[in-house]
Amino acid sequence: MEEQPILELRDVVKDFGGVRAVDQCSLRVMPGAVAGLIGPNGAGKTTLFNLVSGAMPPTSGEILFRGRRIDGMRMHQTFELGLVRTFQIPREMKRMTVLENLMLVPAPQLGERPWTSWLIPWMVDRQERRIESQALEVLEFVSLSHLADEYAGNLSGGQKKLLEFARTLMAQPRMVLLDEPGAGVNRTLLRELSAGILRASVERGITFVIIEHDMRLVMALCDPIIVMANGAVIAEGPPSNVQQDPRVLEAYLGSSFSGAA
Amino acid sequence: MDAIGIVNYLVGFAIMAAIYAVFALGLNVHWGFTGLFNIGIAGFFALGAYTSALMTTKPPDPALFEDFVFGGNWSETHFLDLGIDLWFFLGLAAAAAVCGIIALIIGYVTLRLRDDYLAIATLGIAETVRLFFLNEKWAANGSKGLYRIPAFLEGWVSPEHYDYLYLVVVLVVLSALFLAVERAVKSPWGRVLRAIREDEVAAEASGKNVFRFKLQAFIFGAVIMGVGGALFAHNIRFLSPLTFDPLLATFVIWAMLMVGGSGNNRGAILGAFVVWGIWTGTQFLPGIFSDPNFRFFMIGVLIVAVILLRPGGILGEERRITRAADS
Ligand SMILES: Nc1ncnc2c1ncn2[C@@H]1O[C@H](COP(=O)(O)OP(=O)(O)OP(=O)(O)O)[C@@H](O)[C@H]1O
Ligand SMILES: [Mg+2]
Repeated sequence: MEEQPILELRDVVKDFGGVRAVDQCSLRVMPGAVAGLIGPNGAGKTTLFNLVSGAMPPTSGEILFRGRRIDGMRMHQTFELGLVRTFQIPREMKRMTVLENLMLVPAPQLGERPWTSWLIPWMVDRQERRIESQALEVLEFVSLSHLADEYAGNLSGGQKKLLEFARTLMAQPRMVLLDEPGAGVNRTLLRELSAGILRASVERGITFVIIEHDMRLVMALCDPIIVMANGAVIAEGPPSNVQQDPRVLEAYLGSSFSGAA
Repeated sequence: MDAIGIVNYLVGFAIMAAIYAVFALGLNVHWGFTGLFNIGIAGFFALGAYTSALMTTKPPDPALFEDFVFGGNWSETHFLDLGIDLWFFLGLAAAAAVCGIIALIIGYVTLRLRDDYLAIATLGIAETVRLFFLNEKWAANGSKGLYRIPAFLEGWVSPEHYDYLYLVVVLVVLSALFLAVERAVKSPWGRVLRAIREDEVAAEASGKNVFRFKLQAFIFGAVIMGVGGALFAHNIRFLSPLTFDPLLATFVIWAMLMVGGSGNNRGAILGAFVVWGIWTGTQFLPGIFSDPNFRFFMIGVLIVAVILLRPGGILGEERRITRAADS
């Protein structure tokens, strides 16, 4: 029996007014994969993440996560199914500490019911302690421990990117969508980031889809690689095949590609 | 004014400031922690006040009033005669419940939509409540207003000392609400509210059902405002639709929160005392300076000064550094 894809898109279309950002997109991601999603600026990669995560509904087409229709769901619903995404432009809670940004994430939390803090505060405290040590571990993992009590709004661009990645680790995801996780992150941390992704993939069986412009990172980390141009998937396969695909070269060279290849 | 007069004046002042502090706490739940833009506080103010007043006030003698059919005469109904004024608590609870239900309805309809819809809806409810009590004379005597709203435990102390008693009552209620809000906003629930205030989309991406939390916060804040309205009604003991002027029932409360420190419950209470102090203090100024418009202008100047000098308010929001694991 063939293995079921964890994520499947069937003829997904997204129009913004007259602009077709995603055009008849169909693809499958297998469980446990670390897939790369590349393509020139404006190809529709982020929009695809928005559709899959539920940030916006597709104009038409079907999106299935573990065999279940998720198009039209809201982001918190896809999150509950185990689908977590990050943002290309980090969206941290600026006037909350880095630690709080992470402690927010785990679900379900007993203390998120308003009356629990009045009626059973000790149970909330116990859960808080657990969540806090989990958050501190994750901070250690992304080398942000020293900034735990800093307002997230005060972090540098690269640190905010790492915080985005850390947020996904705080959830218990089945699948993580990373939108340019390496942008602005320095070389050393970048290596740790890819090691972290691989470890999460191997040890926790998390499936990744990673949008990334840094070709060295993508080629080293991802298999398969999915290439988008003008809203459509134009190529898909192992890194070596994709690199030599004439359609991919054309898509990049024939556009205002910013020179990452 | 002699010493007793000054003390009495200060007690009266403290009662009103503490009642306003209740509203500032409610607004802090809405705006300070969740970012809900409620510009119709006057609506919940009036609903709370009228609800409690109608629950507790005897209809007036038809010989004295043309329009008299209102209220239920609940004050006569002592469910448990413990020698305590039980009706006061019933009025408080009813005021809270009515505001909570109205908030549930408004919130359910508007909180899924863009932010501006909530603002428009709160403004709308304030005006609707005012017009309702103005035009529906059967409900609460129209523009002539409700008289002789009973005071809590009125018979217990002599009238000239009554305010001391009521100040204690108001301070007890304020403290209880302060503790309740403080607890709630420092809990994981409050953390979600602040996350929503900071970035709704990111909160949603962190798995939070933003709509549900906003609805809860909106109801919680409105319930607090309802209690404030009830406390107000039994202090002033006369209500008319004109009592709930947007300047004194919405604007000043915003001023209090901005001046005291949005996102800080102590700040909200402090702001209430500071702004109410300026508002009442300036009435003693000579000539044009005691003109209400000038006094509102002074509050405006105060807001601008605070925003320029201390943008977060006198007591701004505190960074929350928790280390539960170490303790
Ligand atoms: N919310 C929106 N409203 C209108 N147009 C949009 C919106 N989001 C994206 N677009 C348009 O859709 C197209 C695809 O954009 P998208 O952000 O998905 O590209 P991308 O592949 O992520 O590019 P980049 O590599 O620059 O991040 C672009 O033409 C963009 O202008
Ligand atoms: Mg993008």
